[in-house]
Amino acid sequence: MAVPAAQVGPKVALSAAGWAVGLRRVLGPDYRMGYLFVTPIALLVLSLVAYPFCYAIYLSMTHKLVGLPPVFVGFENYIRLTSDGFFQRAVVNSFIFTFGSVGFKMVIGVVMALVLTSPVRWRSFWTGVLLIPWVAPTVVSALNFLWIFDGSLGVLNYMLVHVLHILPQGVGWLSEPGLAMASVVAVNIWRGFPFFGISFLAGMRAIPGELYEAAAVDGANPLQRFRHITLPGIRNIMIIVVLLSTIWTFNDFQIIYILTKGGPGGTTMVMPVLAYETAFGAQRLGEAIAVALYLLPVLAVTIMVLARYMRQGRRR
Amino acid sequence: MNRPIRQLAEQLDAHQISRREFVRKTALITGGTAVGLSVMNKMAHAQGPKLRVWLFKSYVTAGNDILAKQVEAWAAERKVQIEFDWATFGDREQKFVASIEAGNPPDIAEMNYQGPMRYRPALRDVTKLAKDLAATRGGLLPFAERVAQLDGQYSGIPRLVFGGGLHIRKDLVAEKGLKMPKVYDPDVIDIAKKCQDPSKELWGFGQTLNRSDDGNGFMQNILWDWGGGTWDKEGKPALGTTFLKQNLEAVQFAVDTIKKHKIQPPGVMSWTDVHNNEAYMAGKLVCTNNGASLYYAMGAKKHPLYEKTQVILTPGGPAGAFVASNPYNWGLFKAGKHAELSEDLVRWVEDEKRFEEYMKACSGQAGPVYKTRAEHPYWKSDPNYEGMLQNILRGVWIGYPGPITPAAIEVQAQYILCDMAGRIVVGGLTPEAALKEAHKRVEEIHRIRSRG
Repeated sequence: MAVPAAQVGPKVALSAAGWAVGLRRVLGPDYRMGYLFVTPIALLVLSLVAYPFCYAIYLSMTHKLVGLPPVFVGFENYIRLTSDGFFQRAVVNSFIFTFGSVGFKMVIGVVMALVLTSPVRWRSFWTGVLLIPWVAPTVVSALNFLWIFDGSLGVLNYMLVHVLHILPQGVGWLSEPGLAMASVVAVNIWRGFPFFGISFLAGMRAIPGELYEAAAVDGANPLQRFRHITLPGIRNIMIIVVLLSTIWTFNDFQIIYILTKGGPGGTTMVMPVLAYETAFGAQRLGEAIAVALYLLPVLAVTIMVLARYMRQGRRR
Repeated sequence: MNRPIRQLAEQLDAHQISRREFVRKTALITGGTAVGLSVMNKMAHAQGPKLRVWLFKSYVTAGNDILAKQVEAWAAERKVQIEFDWATFGDREQKFVASIEAGNPPDIAEMNYQGPMRYRPALRDVTKLAKDLAATRGGLLPFAERVAQLDGQYSGIPRLVFGGGLHIRKDLVAEKGLKMPKVYDPDVIDIAKKCQDPSKELWGFGQTLNRSDDGNGFMQNILWDWGGGTWDKEGKPALGTTFLKQNLEAVQFAVDTIKKHKIQPPGVMSWTDVHNNEAYMAGKLVCTNNGASLYYAMGAKKHPLYEKTQVILTPGGPAGAFVASNPYNWGLFKAGKHAELSEDLVRWVEDEKRFEEYMKACSGQAGPVYKTRAEHPYWKSDPNYEGMLQNILRGVWIGYPGPITPAAIEVQAQYILCDMAGRIVVGGLTPEAALKEAHKRVEEIHRIRSRG
């Protein structure tokens, strides 16, 4: 049986008004304004981050050649990469490059911060000088190192052979087994340690001086003061800096691409360079994105674990 | 536009004008500017169509300048606006990939030998124009014919091929009373050993096997020289099967130049395409394989080694002397709006008088792709040009002895052969293991590319 419209109208209006009251109670009186303010940024995030990311995941599951439409192949690209020896070496190289670099950067960064907190003359000047590698564009630094490491015309070999007479003959810094990876790691360390140093310096300056005075009164030597006051004092900063540097170094492209292009024979091939080579050399775009996304879950888990550890530390 | 709005904002801050007046005046300024820009845009259109042209920026800068001037002269004659862009060795393929995927490629572009095969889906069919040009120039040379078309359909119009050869210090060779080399083993090895002096940082041979065009070219050539190759006659992978024995010997030779004979400088495995040019011009090499750009650079700089250098045929091996002649081509993109104008531009710059002007500025780099151009007296004007020409004329194509295919191109683009050599020299693999590994990669590429 049909219900007369006059009987329905007030009920609908009442329930709508009730909804509005309920929403106001839950979300606050200005919730409509809140949506208005949040919408632009939500749209931006969706269009500039979420959409490209989801599209990249889709493309990584396609056979996509330049100029041709993508053909969905499921997880074929990922499965193929898993058994690809060249890719496997790139994964191992990426970890060596990342953790080798980050480890050294942390140690040198701590030393830099300790030196700059001690009463040295012209401290501001030295701080500025030590920041130069971090400030200089990576491309410029890498090109300079390409010349420095050159086997025939490089300044490093010239110094070692002709000026210091340490070596009888020049060394192929970017072409000898082991040396190539060590050289690109060295450049990454050179470029990245000031970030560690300056961050640790900020952390060390925030530690109250009274703690050191009390420790000195209690008979703690400098090493003990460093271990029991300085290190715990900069622990959180250390975790953040290591976390950021791990992500940046893992995704570092410029240094290796300019110095070795991943060669010789794949000795220095890392994931970002391999992704680039697969995209623009092989021109297989689907597979290139699969290379780029392959270790994303591992990195995401690492970040989550570190972040959790950091939060726990803060609570303690 | 920025300044008046800023002034208005300052007036608003100083309460000299009301908010309403600020909004009204700002709207007027913005609207006026938009109308002005629109009128200017229409005026620009009235000046004629705009053609987007991508040229290749080679190391032979005099040639680049002449080509640009010829294109500009054509634009002035036809009342066409030109939007120029230059692609280099380092960013050429990246630009093509990005523009094709974005649906915004140029109308016309100068592509290397990989272009017609790789970008075929995005390129116009230019069969008629390519055949017309070839017919009036005695026909295309065999390698150019292979590179520009597939199953009779042309995706590119061949323009030139880089001349080059073994650049060798004739003064040092004469000093030792030696003859110019014809084969790598033993001729080049012998000359290199007798002429080099590591204590003075003078090395016999400068040839990288690293990921580079130079490394790629050398590795591919010596496989052929030793009777092997990457592909068989049907275009199937043959690196570790049909030609295994020959390829093993060739790879062993390449590695021996570094490890056994010690005729290559330290660091050669990290060289890119420019390093051998720099080392040769610094007087640190007895000989090196290179394109004519090295000869051009020495001539342009009046370098003392210019007179002491001879460019000879690239040496060979037991099965003969092979080189890949990789032509540059014009490509017309489907997404371009001005196909007829683009074809007209190709006819203009490929006009024989204009090409002659370009060729003479290029010091051997603008090698012939047409039969009549190979007969031009220019190639006899310098003994070194003669060597470059003969190198071009005997050239084969990537994929030889089979057809040129997208898989053959990708093997080059991925530096598979360079990686193979690098895995032995730096990675410590045996030649057998490195060949097996490389063959697996070639097979994988063949499988993927066969799917289309």
